[in-house]
Amino acid sequence: MNNVERFRKSAVLFPVFLLILTTIYLAEALSIRSQFGGDTIVGPRFMPILMAIIMYVALIVVLVGELRRDEESASSGSFLRPLLVVVATGIYIALFRPLGYVPATLGFVIALFLIFDFERRRPAFFAFYVIAVTALFYGLFAGVFGVRLPPVLGGF
Amino acid sequence: METFISFLGGFGALLSWEVLGFMIAGFLIGTFFGAMPGLTSVLAIALLLPITYTIDVVPALVMCASIFMAGMYSGSITATTINIPGAPSSMMTAVEGNALMLKGHGANALGHAALGSMIGGSIGAILLMAFMPLAAELALLIRTPGKFSLVLFALVVIIIVDKGAIAKGIVATSLGIMLATVGIDVLQPIPRFEFGTELLVEGIGLMPVVIGAFAVSELLVQAQNWNLSLEGTLERAKALRIRRRDFIPPWSEIRQIGFFTYIKSAIMGYSIGILPGAGGSMAAFVAYADAKRSSKQPEEYGYGSREGIAAAESANNSMCGGAFVPMLMFGIPGDPTTAIVLGVLVINGLQPGPRLLEQQADLIAPMFASLFVSALILIPLTLFLFGPYFIKIVSIPRGLLYSSIAVVALVGSYVATYSIFQMFLALMFGVLAFFLRKHNYSVVAMLLGFILGPDLEQYLRRSLSFNDGNPIVFLTNLDSLAFLILTVVFAYLILRKKPKLDAIP
Repeated sequence: MNNVERFRKSAVLFPVFLLILTTIYLAEALSIRSQFGGDTIVGPRFMPILMAIIMYVALIVVLVGELRRDEESASSGSFLRPLLVVVATGIYIALFRPLGYVPATLGFVIALFLIFDFERRRPAFFAFYVIAVTALFYGLFAGVFGVRLPPVLGGF
Repeated sequence: METFISFLGGFGALLSWEVLGFMIAGFLIGTFFGAMPGLTSVLAIALLLPITYTIDVVPALVMCASIFMAGMYSGSITATTINIPGAPSSMMTAVEGNALMLKGHGANALGHAALGSMIGGSIGAILLMAFMPLAAELALLIRTPGKFSLVLFALVVIIIVDKGAIAKGIVATSLGIMLATVGIDVLQPIPRFEFGTELLVEGIGLMPVVIGAFAVSELLVQAQNWNLSLEGTLERAKALRIRRRDFIPPWSEIRQIGFFTYIKSAIMGYSIGILPGAGGSMAAFVAYADAKRSSKQPEEYGYGSREGIAAAESANNSMCGGAFVPMLMFGIPGDPTTAIVLGVLVINGLQPGPRLLEQQADLIAPMFASLFVSALILIPLTLFLFGPYFIKIVSIPRGLLYSSIAVVALVGSYVATYSIFQMFLALMFGVLAFFLRKHNYSVVAMLLGFILGPDLEQYLRRSLSFNDGNPIVFLTNLDSLAFLILTVVFAYLILRKKPKLDAIP
């Protein structure tokens, strides 16, 4: 494995991503101002700065370890299905309130059944389970626990 | 004595239909989640966390305790029948239980697992009730620098327990602490890391972190490993015929194991439970290794040792009692389940600490009673009633199961605060936890860092403020010094000791 390949592996990219996050966090921490007593050592930015420093040191140790290792440590497997789940979930959350619980959840369950290959060859069972899951959790949250779920199209 | 009477009153609270119903429902949910490979009792409690907003604190805590006990026991079901531990703490049971299963003694193995769980869980609950007042007395003696050193001790133990990935443990714990710094400062009324949005001024709640870390990330992990199907194994297991009478272990076998083994393993499990981050897996492993070392029939280990099952199951169920001690007295959860239970307490306005026992023992006593009743009555009863159908129950199609979990997790993260933003946070933390898990960073360390972060910061800054920023206060204060020495000793003991490879056959 050459150096470029080493740097591209996800076990290395992830700590790099965390390094970037830590840098944003540290920049924001340095802008925190104490409300009283000036910026003493134990002010509100003390802990964030301390944690950022610890994080940098630990991430560098992790990065060095990952770069030295030849094999990919994370278990293999396609990212397509998890990505589809994330996209479906993001759309569900975005539509949850505008569409209401029932239509949004029906759509979400259909999407998940398709992603997880559940009952795709038996449309009647597919439809039954979609409705059953939506109804079951409506009954649990709204019926049993008295939670107000978003109504259909924000209306009724 | 007063406290003891309050604890006895906890059993009275279980006589209420509502509380009893939640305990039984929790136990059945915990059994299902514990038995199902890929699902854990932690996930069950995480999914039910939002519901605790809508019910009283007593049934919520009672339900959490019964899920915890059930999840710890039921991991042994699939461990024995299909050699896949339903929970990591049932790893040793899988070794011995499945060997017995292959010899045609599967029901007998399940019976021994249930008996060990029953005895261990009951002893753990009794020890919890017996030593809680003493722990409360000790907690009263600890001052602010000591509290900092105690929280530090907990975090250090959580990090070094995974010896192979200490740097990753530090990253995960630090990440949790950093997330906890978002929102209003712990000592001054100024917002931090709100990035110009009002949504983050109040900080990040426990719920989206828990739902994301345990439910959404599990969904993503399962989605990635979708082709590794269990259906074939489950189909074969479904063909097994199990009779109820075979579940009852013969007296001769129990005598051969010896009550000393059960009691010793339970005490070990309870003690390990008190340690932060150790958990049921370590309890089961240590008790199993000790039972093997002192066994009269060590040659049976690896080929279906009933004694091995008894020791492992007794220890991991007893751990449940121990794990509650640091959480209730110091606000330091020993494992993810008690971390979520801590969330339930805080949601309901209860502050962990010695005063909790003094002033609100009536609220936590039913939880202790639930642990005891779940172990002593519900474990054997569930095995007897549902034992022959366990495999059919866990054969539910995974597409249906995980789609349902997704709906419960997301709607659950909405119902607590009626906030779409919380749902987005749950998704975001789910993706983050997915990558943490894929690259062997401990999600539990992140969660415990998130929970303990505010205490760590508060005690550190208070101690330094009172001493003009001089850190020597942590060495001159006796209780702080004691915890710092304890931290060094534990770090030395854990890091020095090489794992005994021969402990696992």
